[in-house]
Amino acid sequence: MRWTVGALLLALFPVFVREPYYITLCVNLAVTLILTLSLNFVVGTSGQWSFAHAAFFGMGAYVPGVLASRFGLDGWLGLPLSVVSTSVLATVVGLPIVRLRGYYLAVCTLALGFLAEIIVRQAVDLTGGGYGIQQIPPLFIAGYRLQGGSYYLLALAALLISSLLLDNIKGSTLGHAIVATRDNPIAAGSCGINVGRVKLTAFVITAGLAALAGWVHTFYYLALNPSLLASDLTFLWYFMVFIGGLGSVPGVVIGTALLSIAPEFLGMATHNQVLAFGLLMLGVALFAPRGIGGAVTGLLQTGRFLAAERSTK
Amino acid sequence: MTLQSILQVLVSGLQVGCIYALMALSFYVIQSATGILNFAQGEWAMISAVLGVVFLPFVPYPIAIAAAIAGATGLAILSERLFIRRLESRNAPLVTVILSLLGIMIVARYGTALLFGQEEYPLPGPARSEIIEFGGELYLLPQTLVIYATTVAVFAAVELHMRRTKLGRSLRVAAIDPIGAQLIGVDLNRVRAFAFGLGGVIAAVAGWLYAPLYAAGYMIGVVPGVKGFIVMVIGGMASPLGSLVGGITLGLIEVAAARYLSSLYSEALAFVVLMGVLFVRPEGLIAAGTRS
Repeated sequence: MRWTVGALLLALFPVFVREPYYITLCVNLAVTLILTLSLNFVVGTSGQWSFAHAAFFGMGAYVPGVLASRFGLDGWLGLPLSVVSTSVLATVVGLPIVRLRGYYLAVCTLALGFLAEIIVRQAVDLTGGGYGIQQIPPLFIAGYRLQGGSYYLLALAALLISSLLLDNIKGSTLGHAIVATRDNPIAAGSCGINVGRVKLTAFVITAGLAALAGWVHTFYYLALNPSLLASDLTFLWYFMVFIGGLGSVPGVVIGTALLSIAPEFLGMATHNQVLAFGLLMLGVALFAPRGIGGAVTGLLQTGRFLAAERSTK
Repeated sequence: MTLQSILQVLVSGLQVGCIYALMALSFYVIQSATGILNFAQGEWAMISAVLGVVFLPFVPYPIAIAAAIAGATGLAILSERLFIRRLESRNAPLVTVILSLLGIMIVARYGTALLFGQEEYPLPGPARSEIIEFGGELYLLPQTLVIYATTVAVFAAVELHMRRTKLGRSLRVAAIDPIGAQLIGVDLNRVRAFAFGLGGVIAAVAGWLYAPLYAAGYMIGVVPGVKGFIVMVIGGMASPLGSLVGGITLGLIEVAAARYLSSLYSEALAFVVLMGVLFVRPEGLIAAGTRS
């Protein structure tokens, strides 16, 4: 019920706001939310350090973009290809990695993230190197070109499907297995959970969602460039998740919205934006270790506790 | 594939490998004593090179080297004191520590970009820059010899220090059993600060060796940083020897691949080697059992 009302309200947005700038802002926000919510899932719910999120996002963007611009493949066909190829990559990378713990996973995925960008920059014949690819053919529905407000609806649909998927997984048997594996892998294994497979599943699902976000991004901008794969993006999404509050979905949504919209209005250059996020991150780590979401929950609890104290006196 | 080209590949492969090995060692001394993988190591290397460019016009070369390395090391120790110590003292979860380390890395990198600009400057090496020729076959930069010598010296010094001095031994004890170490009077705060400082010095030295071959600028710490921790994992966490072996192995493989196969994907090779080692030998090339 809440979902339906929320979705309808968000869907009406382009009816009231027709300014292209705000549409772009909202499409960006939807794409970033898919990324941070899936990151929150793999790190918060599954407890795995994946630093390759930008690499998966970039691959999800590049596969359909390259196929559409160089080989004339329809953008809609690019969607399954993008998600499937990225999931296959995540599986191949994930197989040896899920046996490892903690820092090792971080190291491997960080390395993958850094090198993915280098490879895309160097494979000029296919990806256009540092210049990227322009003029990718747009998406059509029954002869009607998706752009502006109608594209926003597509991005919104992708966001809703992703968050419903993550929400449903969390409540399912798989979700309980994922949480159990995070909290105590040995106990989970002794309950008959295939620990390796459960971790791999969580890793691959979130990589697939990152690819979906990449696909949405590509056919909005109809252009690609290698900075889409920059590891700095992964760090930004991590900061959004953490500053919002790891593991709390409302916290992550607030963190993402704040950190993606505020720099737009402040007109900050990308470098200074990253710098400001880094400083903010350090401040949050020292003074609000559970993020904004955690701090608000903490304050509310303290408030309730004080109120209860007073009423008993 | 003549003898001459093989020798040339060996010379440059060793040179690249030495830089990787030093970076890996700087990760290793911190990781082994504190269990922390400090992502910011590449940035200390970068900052020492950038500070060098800043100091060089004003003071003689040796003083500029010393001041730049001291500056970068000071920042490494400061980052431990300001953030890591506070987080560890309240037992912050791993996620908070890792993200703070990322934060430190980002602030160091883009703070440098903000303060010193985004241009890249040449940084002269400590040695003359004429090419040395061996019988008209083999060419060497003096900087290459400086890199070899410094790497050997740093590894020997760290190894000796870990075995002979009290602080070095407490570093090794803290690595094996932090609680036991505290019981016998090892001050973990001191060990951690020292490990961050030592890691900072090694990275700063690596930056001074690396930058004269390329340039000094705010982005030059990224590649040595990434390769450094890849090499540490490839080599294994059992001893500093792992970093040396891992670094030289990766350096030789990369240079040989760039020369004989294709320079296009030689960067990706580090990742392939990493995945291969983790798949076959997750404990790294030099495992604990092989240590005498």
